[in-house]
Amino acid sequence: MVRSNEFGVRRKRLRTQHFELRTKFMLWQQLANGIAIGSVYALISLGLTMVYGILRILHVAHAGIYALGAYVGLLSFRLVGNFWLSLIVGMAGAAVAGYIVERFLYMPLLHLPRIAPLIVSIGLFTAMEEAFRIVAGPHTLAYNARVGLGDLSIGSFHLTETQILILFVTFAVLIFLWAFLTKTRTGLAMRACAQDPETTSSFGVNVSRIIAINFLIGSAMAGAAGVLIGVYDNQVWPTMGSIPAYKALAIVVLGGLGNIPGTVLASIVVGLAETFFIGVLAIPFPRDAVAFVAMILVLMFKPYGLLGKA
Amino acid sequence: MISGYLITILIIIVIYAMLAHSLNIITGHAGQISLGHAAFFGIGAYTSAMLYAEAGFPFWLSVPLAAVVAGIVGALLGIPCLRVRDDFLAITTMGINFVVEAIFLYIPFFGGAMGIGGINLPKWFGREMTKPEYFILILVVFFLLLLMDRRLGRSWIGLAWASIREDEQAAGAMGVDVVRFKVLAFILGSAIAGLAGGFYAHFLTFIMPQNFGFGQSIVVLSMVVFGGIGTRWGPIVGAIILGILPEVSRPIMEYRILIYGVLLLAMMRFQPGGLLGSESILSKVFRRTVYRLSSSE
Amino acid sequence: MKCRGFLFSIFVFSILSLTALAYGQDIPVGFFAPITGPAAADGASAKNAVELGLKEVNDAGGISGKKINLIIYDDRMNPQEAVAIANKLIEKDKVIGVVSGSYSAPTRVTAPIFQKAGIPMVAGYAVHPDVTWDPREKKPNDFCFRNGFLGEIEGAAAAQFAVKNLKAKKVSLIFMDNDFGRAISSGFADRAEKLGAKVLTKQMYKFPGEKDFRPYLTRIKEGNPDLIFAAGYYNEAASIVRQAKELGVTSKIMGEEGFDSPKFLEIAGPAAEGVVIATNLDRDDPRPLVQNFLKNYRKAYNEDADMVGASSYDAFMILVNAIKKAGTDPKAIQKALLETKDYNGLTGKISRFVQGEVVKPVQIQVVKGGKFHRLGVVDNPEIITPPTKQ
Repeated sequence: MVRSNEFGVRRKRLRTQHFELRTKFMLWQQLANGIAIGSVYALISLGLTMVYGILRILHVAHAGIYALGAYVGLLSFRLVGNFWLSLIVGMAGAAVAGYIVERFLYMPLLHLPRIAPLIVSIGLFTAMEEAFRIVAGPHTLAYNARVGLGDLSIGSFHLTETQILILFVTFAVLIFLWAFLTKTRTGLAMRACAQDPETTSSFGVNVSRIIAINFLIGSAMAGAAGVLIGVYDNQVWPTMGSIPAYKALAIVVLGGLGNIPGTVLASIVVGLAETFFIGVLAIPFPRDAVAFVAMILVLMFKPYGLLGKA
Repeated sequence: MISGYLITILIIIVIYAMLAHSLNIITGHAGQISLGHAAFFGIGAYTSAMLYAEAGFPFWLSVPLAAVVAGIVGALLGIPCLRVRDDFLAITTMGINFVVEAIFLYIPFFGGAMGIGGINLPKWFGREMTKPEYFILILVVFFLLLLMDRRLGRSWIGLAWASIREDEQAAGAMGVDVVRFKVLAFILGSAIAGLAGGFYAHFLTFIMPQNFGFGQSIVVLSMVVFGGIGTRWGPIVGAIILGILPEVSRPIMEYRILIYGVLLLAMMRFQPGGLLGSESILSKVFRRTVYRLSSSE
Repeated sequence: MKCRGFLFSIFVFSILSLTALAYGQDIPVGFFAPITGPAAADGASAKNAVELGLKEVNDAGGISGKKINLIIYDDRMNPQEAVAIANKLIEKDKVIGVVSGSYSAPTRVTAPIFQKAGIPMVAGYAVHPDVTWDPREKKPNDFCFRNGFLGEIEGAAAAQFAVKNLKAKKVSLIFMDNDFGRAISSGFADRAEKLGAKVLTKQMYKFPGEKDFRPYLTRIKEGNPDLIFAAGYYNEAASIVRQAKELGVTSKIMGEEGFDSPKFLEIAGPAAEGVVIATNLDRDDPRPLVQNFLKNYRKAYNEDADMVGASSYDAFMILVNAIKKAGTDPKAIQKALLETKDYNGLTGKISRFVQGEVVKPVQIQVVKGGKFHRLGVVDNPEIITPPTKQ
C-alpha cells in the first residue's frame, strides 16, 4: 500500500514537472511570438514617429505605404524568386511612395491648420486601400518566401524561420538607424530639425532635404515591415494597413510622440501585451484594443507617453 | 406613387445630411477634429434600438432619448478630450470610435456581433408608418433642427463659437469660456448624431456594430469636407451629392470608397474650404456669374 | 437641331419599349452577393456558380419556354445596400423570387422586406437564424428558406464525427467572434461534452483582421488536445493551419464550411494535408449532378468550385424547381417550396424544410493529396433536424 502510494506520488510529481516544463517552453514561445510581432510594430511605428517629430503631422497614410511595400515586395518576389531582393525592392518602392507623398501632399499644406494634412492623409490612405483592391484584386495573395534557414527548435519551443528573419531585419535596421542618427552629420541635422526647424535652417541646414530623407528612411522601414508581415503570415491583402494604421498611432503616442527609443519600447510592450493577454492570461479581450488601452493607461500617469517630454 | 426605392434613397440622404450637419457643428463651429463621429451615431442607434426592442419603449420616446444619451456621452467624452492637444484629440476621437464599436461588438448585452434586429418603423394612428410618411417626418425634424441652428448661430452662443473658430487664444483672452462652448458644441453635435442614429435604426430595422466604425466616420467626414467645413449648407450639399451619386451611376457605386478617399485628398489639398467654401471654384464661378448678370443689366 | 433631338428620343423610346417587351417574356429572378468589397472572393464565387446554373436552365429552354432573367446586384457586404437592393428588386425589377448569394448581414436585413412583400427568397449560405425567423413577432419568415446549415447544427455534426469517428477525447476550440463563429462553436462544444469529450480551451479571435494565431495556438498546444476545432473563413483557416504546423502542433485540425475553398488549399499549402472539415459539398459524390457541376465550373472559370458557389447554385436551382412546379405566382412558388420533399440538391438531399431550414446530412471531407475528398457523413436525424421554434 505504502509502496504503490510512493510510486503513485512520484509519478504525479513527474507529470506536474513535465507540465511545468511544457509551460516554461510555452512561455518562451509566447515571448518569441510577442517580440516578433512587436518588432514589426516597431518598424512601422518608427516611420510614423519620425514624421511626427519633424513635421508634426499624423501620417495615417504611412500604413498605406506599409501595404504598398508588401505588394511591391510580393510582385518582385513573383518575378525574381529571391526573398532578400524582394525585401530591398519593397523598401525602395515604399521609400519612393513616401517621398512623393511628402513632396506633393504635405509640403504644400504646411501653412494650413494641422487638420488639413491629417485629412489629406486619411483620404490618401482610404484611396490607397481601394486602389490595391482594384489593381491587385480583393483576395489575399500568398507571399511564400523561404530563405532556407529552417527553424530553431529546442524541444517544444520553435523559433520559426520567419520569426528569425523578422528579428534579424529589425535588429539590423535599428542598428543602422541608431548609427545614422548619432554618428552622421545628416542624422544630427535631422534631430536638430525635429527640435527646432527654424533655428536649424538658420545654421545653413537644408531643412527641405532633411525632411525628404526623413520620409525616405521612415517609409523604407514601413515597406520592410510590410514585406516581413507578408512573409510571416503568408498573406498580402488590400486592407492589411487598416489595423496597423491605428495601432501604430496608439503605439507612437504610448511611446511619446516623436521619441524614437520610446516608440521601440512601446512597440515591444504592445506586442508582448497582446500575446500574453491572448496566450497566457487567456482574457477574451479584442487583441487590437490592447494598444489603445495601454495608451490610455500610460497617458493617465505619463501624459506625454512612456519616454516623451513636453 | 413614389417608388419605395426612391424613398429609401431619400431617407438615407436626409439621415446622412443630419449626421454631416452634426459633425459640422463640432468641427466647423467649435473647430475640433472629430474623427470618430460615427460612435455617436452608433450610440444613438443602439440606444433607440434597445429601448424599443428590449424595453418596449415606443418610437416617439426611444428616438429622443437616443439623442439625449448621445449628448450625455458626448459631454462626458468631450470634457477630457478638449483639454487635450490637437493631435491627441484626433487620435483620441479615433480611439473612442474603436472602443464604442468594440463595446457593441463584445458585450452580449448589446447583441454582440449579431447586432439588434426587429426595430420597426413607428406606429401612428394605430398602424405602422409607411416609408414616405417616415421620410416626411425626418425631413420635418431636420428642418426644425436647421431653424434652431440658425437661431443659435445668431445668438451669443453662435458668436462665441465664431470667435473660438477664428482664434481660440484671442477669444479666451477676451473672456470667452472656451472650454464651455466647445463642450456645448460637442454635446449638440453628438446629440443630433444620436438622433440621426435613432432614425437610422428604425429605418434599417436591424443594426450591427460594423455600421458605426471608423469607415462610417470617414464617409461622414468626406461629406463635410467636400461640402465645406464650417459652412452652413456645405455638409448638407455634400451629403446630398455624395449620397445620390453612387445610386445614379453604377461605376461610381463600385468605386465609391475610392472616390471618397480621393475627394478627401483632393479637396483638402486644393480646395480646403470645400465646395461651398469661400475659396472654392464653385463660389468663384457663382460670384462671377452673379457679377456678370448684374453688370449686364 | 430640334428635329434631331425629337428623332433621337423616338429612337431611344422604341429601343426601350422593345427591350421592355423582350424582358416581359422573361422570368425575373433577383440575386445579390458581395461582388465587391471585403468578401469579394465569395461574392464572385456565388455569382459564377449561379450564372452557370442560369446558363444551364436557359440553354435547356428555360421554364416552359420562357428564359430566366437573372438580375444581379452587388451588396458590398453592406446591410444598408442590401436594403436598397431589396426594394429595387421588389419595386423596380418586380422579381418573383430571389436568391441570396450573400452573408448573414445583408441577407438578414432583407428577409423581413421580402417577407412583407410576399416574394420568396432562398439563401445559399447565410447562417443567421433571423433569416428564417422573425424575432420580434416570434414567428417564422415563411417566405424565406435557407439551403445552408445553421451554425449550431453544423457544429454539432462536426462534434459527432470528431468524437465518434475521430475518437477525440480532448478538444480545443478556436473561433471567430461573429455570429457564425459563436454559433458553430457552441454547437460543437455542447455536443462534444454530451458525448463525453472534454473541452480544454475555447478561444475567440477578432474577425475580420486576425492573422497572427501563434499566441492562440501556443496556448492550445499547451493542453495537447486530440483535436482542434477551428472556425474561420479561408484566410483565417489557412493561417491557423500553417502556423499550427510551424509551431509543431500535432493535434488533428477540424474546420467547417468556411474552410471549403480552393483559396484555403492554395494559401495553406502542404499544411492543409489531413485537415478535416464539415461542409455541404461532397467532391466524391458519384451523382452526375455533382460531378458535372464540378467539371463545368472548372471549365468555365478555371478554378475549383467551393462551398459558397455550390450553396448558391443549389439555392438558385431550388427556386427554379419551385417555379417549374408552380409557375410565376410568388405565393404559389412559396407553397411549392414549403412542400419540398426529398429534393436532390447539389449539396445534398434535402428531406424537407423545417421553418425554412433544411433537413440535410452534413458532409465530412478531408484534404488528401491537396484536394478535398469524402471522409464521411453525419445524418443522425436528431442532429441534423433543425429545432422548431415557438
